Amino acid sequence: MARYVIRRLLQAIPTLLGVSVISFVLVYNSPGDPILIRTFDPNITQETREILRRQLGLDQPWALQYIGWLTGVTLRNGDVVAEFDRQDTRCSFAAALNTTFCDNGGGILRGNLGTSIATNQPVWERLVERMPATFELSVSALFVSLLLGVPLGVLSAVRQASLFDGSVRVLAVVGNALPSFWFGLMLIFFFGVVLGWLPTGGRRTVSLTNEFDLLDRVRHLILPTIILAFGGIAGISRFMRTETLEVIRTDYIRMAKAKGVPANRVWFIHALRNALIPLMTILGPTIFGVLTGAVIVETIFSWPGMGRMTFSAAVQRDYPTVLGAVMFFALLTILGNLLSDILYGVVDPRVRL
Amino acid sequence: MKNRKISILAALLVSALLLAACPQPVPVAETALEAPASDAAVQGGVWVEGSSADATILNPILASDSASFDVLGWFFPSLLGQDPFSGAIVPTEMAESWDVSEDGLIWTFHLQDGVMWSDGEQVTADDFKFTYDAIASDLVETPRKANLDNIASIDVLDPLTIQVTYEEVKCDALNNLGLGWLPSHLYAEDFSDVMDSPLNEEPAVSAGPFIFNEWIRDDNATVLRNDTYWKGAPNMDGWIYKIVPDAGARLAQLQTGELDLIGVQPEQLTTVQLNPDLNLHKFQDDGYSYIGLNQANPENPQAGQDEDGNLVEQDPHPILSDLAVRQAIAHALDYDTIIENVYLGQGYQIAANVLPAVGWAHDPSLEPYAFDTDRAAQILDDAGWTDGDGDGVRECNGCATAEAGASLTIRLQTNAGNTTREDLGALVQDQLNSIGFDIQFEAIEFGTLVGELLGQTFDMVIIGWTGLGTDPNDDSFWHSKFDTPGSGFNFVSYQNARIDELLEQAVSVPGCAAEDRAPFYQEIQKIIHDDIPYVFVTGSVGNTGYSKKFNGTEPGPWSFYHNVETWSLAQ
Repeated sequence: MARYVIRRLLQAIPTLLGVSVISFVLVYNSPGDPILIRTFDPNITQETREILRRQLGLDQPWALQYIGWLTGVTLRNGDVVAEFDRQDTRCSFAAALNTTFCDNGGGILRGNLGTSIATNQPVWERLVERMPATFELSVSALFVSLLLGVPLGVLSAVRQASLFDGSVRVLAVVGNALPSFWFGLMLIFFFGVVLGWLPTGGRRTVSLTNEFDLLDRVRHLILPTIILAFGGIAGISRFMRTETLEVIRTDYIRMAKAKGVPANRVWFIHALRNALIPLMTILGPTIFGVLTGAVIVETIFSWPGMGRMTFSAAVQRDYPTVLGAVMFFALLTILGNLLSDILYGVVDPRVRL
Repeated sequence: MKNRKISILAALLVSALLLAACPQPVPVAETALEAPASDAAVQGGVWVEGSSADATILNPILASDSASFDVLGWFFPSLLGQDPFSGAIVPTEMAESWDVSEDGLIWTFHLQDGVMWSDGEQVTADDFKFTYDAIASDLVETPRKANLDNIASIDVLDPLTIQVTYEEVKCDALNNLGLGWLPSHLYAEDFSDVMDSPLNEEPAVSAGPFIFNEWIRDDNATVLRNDTYWKGAPNMDGWIYKIVPDAGARLAQLQTGELDLIGVQPEQLTTVQLNPDLNLHKFQDDGYSYIGLNQANPENPQAGQDEDGNLVEQDPHPILSDLAVRQAIAHALDYDTIIENVYLGQGYQIAANVLPAVGWAHDPSLEPYAFDTDRAAQILDDAGWTDGDGDGVRECNGCATAEAGASLTIRLQTNAGNTTREDLGALVQDQLNSIGFDIQFEAIEFGTLVGELLGQTFDMVIIGWTGLGTDPNDDSFWHSKFDTPGSGFNFVSYQNARIDELLEQAVSVPGCAAEDRAPFYQEIQKIIHDDIPYVFVTGSVGNTGYSKKFNGTEPGPWSFYHNVETWSLAQ
């Protein structure tokens, strides 16, 4: 097992490198200029724009920018030490190469995701600030998806072709088809404005003290969790229905029924345990789905998480933030898939890793 | 039976949700009146403003977005005040008066005495000089470098007197002196810490009505009453800037009382007007929407001037350089329908580039272009744009600018996601196509559109200007020196030597008296109106919905919070 995990982690390195190259090329070659977007103002001169562009290194060819992002070392023609040498960036001039090397101590290879163009904050700091909010929402959505998706799927299979089964299947289709931004606004309007039962957005009731209040946090979590979990419930219930249908046609289930084991025990002890095993394989993609779905849900519900930050960074062409977030999400996806493989081995002894 | 009950319940819930989503037929009410002010000030209360975007940095010389200024505006003193109702520059902030030399080049500002930072240090002329010297420093990456344009020197004559010397007379120069001042006593003298200072995220001191409390990114920023504010401490305990990206969610939170103030979208007006707990502040904003018509060939963008400042003859746009085509477009649009249906009545037709709000420079005698499709069609016929093959699209049959047989096909672009502009684009396409144009409309991502605009590679664009301010000088839109592909804002490549001359004269009038400058701007408006580099669609109308939680609110078009220190919690 340990060898398998180490091998998978080592395999992740070229994967992440590939992700970095592809995302870097895509992001830097997408239309739109971060400097123009920030300075689309007649009162800002072209000279100012050029200074900003040069100071941020955006005047460099993308390959050099990529090396800089990867290693923290940037190269420039000529002796420009005086222009770029700073407290946090050390520059030296190599006369033989007529090149100035500047090292800002960063670079993704050294674990530094760079600095946001929009806010001048370290990208890692921006991510860390928003991680708790996103994890809080994602974990609760995942929990609700499993809590409701699994029994709905099992019951739907057990009562195949019944009204209940039909309703669950309709729910699965609706869950996948319903645009979350529309459904979210409907819930806000109904439960927030009309009934006044739940807050309409945010992670907490804002106040001058912003003190922690568990009940308040839970109330704010309910609506975004429902929206984010809706697709997950739909997917998991459909998956569980298919798996359970396969399991309940097997001989050992028939045998259990023939022995007179109570129906609930047959379905939820014997059938469910085996039907759950394949669920592990979709856990990784489900985690990824929840994280990506959070982009929309976080926007509608004013949830201060990573998804919303990544979306606004993309709109503002804040390259370092977008790339940092992409790398982070890629790492999470790899770890999610690894976790689901490991769990598969744990719950099914026949699978040897 | 139980299953059927569940299904019926589910159906009822879905129906309820759908019904809730449908607009209800409701009467349109007049703007709600503000609650009467009470005599005795009541302490306490918090005001929560909703915003679509969060601040990015709380430093007045590094910020470039309005959200940042919404928050940092509470802390940093500025030299000049602005009348909240007229927008005129007034001595209500740090400068209590000023003198101007006879040649108009030296401005001496006398500062308020006794204004203190919240840590007890006095706000002095040194803070002003430090701020502008920081902008000039190579160590500071700021988009505000242009604020130093035309300034020859800034001298501190004494702690309460500043002298600014200009290189030449420029009547709108005062606008560049409006930035917030940094507390110089908290920064290194060589500006080396300005970029990375923690003060950029947590301003430690304030000379405004509130002091910084907390900033949770993408969530909220909170400020507390500054008990030492020189105009008098506010009655309210604090102010919160809450980030709610979605417009529908912002309205919902205004209705539930979670927010006290939001910018109201046209389609949300009725909801706010009918709510007895809300006020609506409607005002003519300092902006307009327009369709920019590229006068030059988008396949060959050129600068408007050479290095010596001489006009460079442009490679003309094959269709839009024809004045007759521009006139036909101006007459073919049904402005009333556009304002009513696209802007939901929140707009007004304008004739040229100076808005009525700038009363002294605005020319009310100019008539906006009238909607007249027959006239538009006749203009095209007369100009040699006719539909020879009967396919509904006109071709050049003797036109002035295009090759014979070229069809009247023009691209029209705007930024995706702005539904108002997308709707306008569809309507413009429909109306122009009905008289023989072939308009190819597309909505593209804003960053891409900006690239096309400044790169001058577009044909027609739907966009708008906001924040034009109170001075009518808009030379960056029309002067040929700003026709610079890749950067200039005269991206429609408008060239007119007379306009260049008038724009220069209008800002260098000795004494800068309004009555002396006005004739220049009136001639400019006439020429712009006749040349049609822009088709002016509508002047902007702003709407702010706000709660009645406080008495004493007196919003003006130029400032909502100008008297915030006098607001008193409604009982």
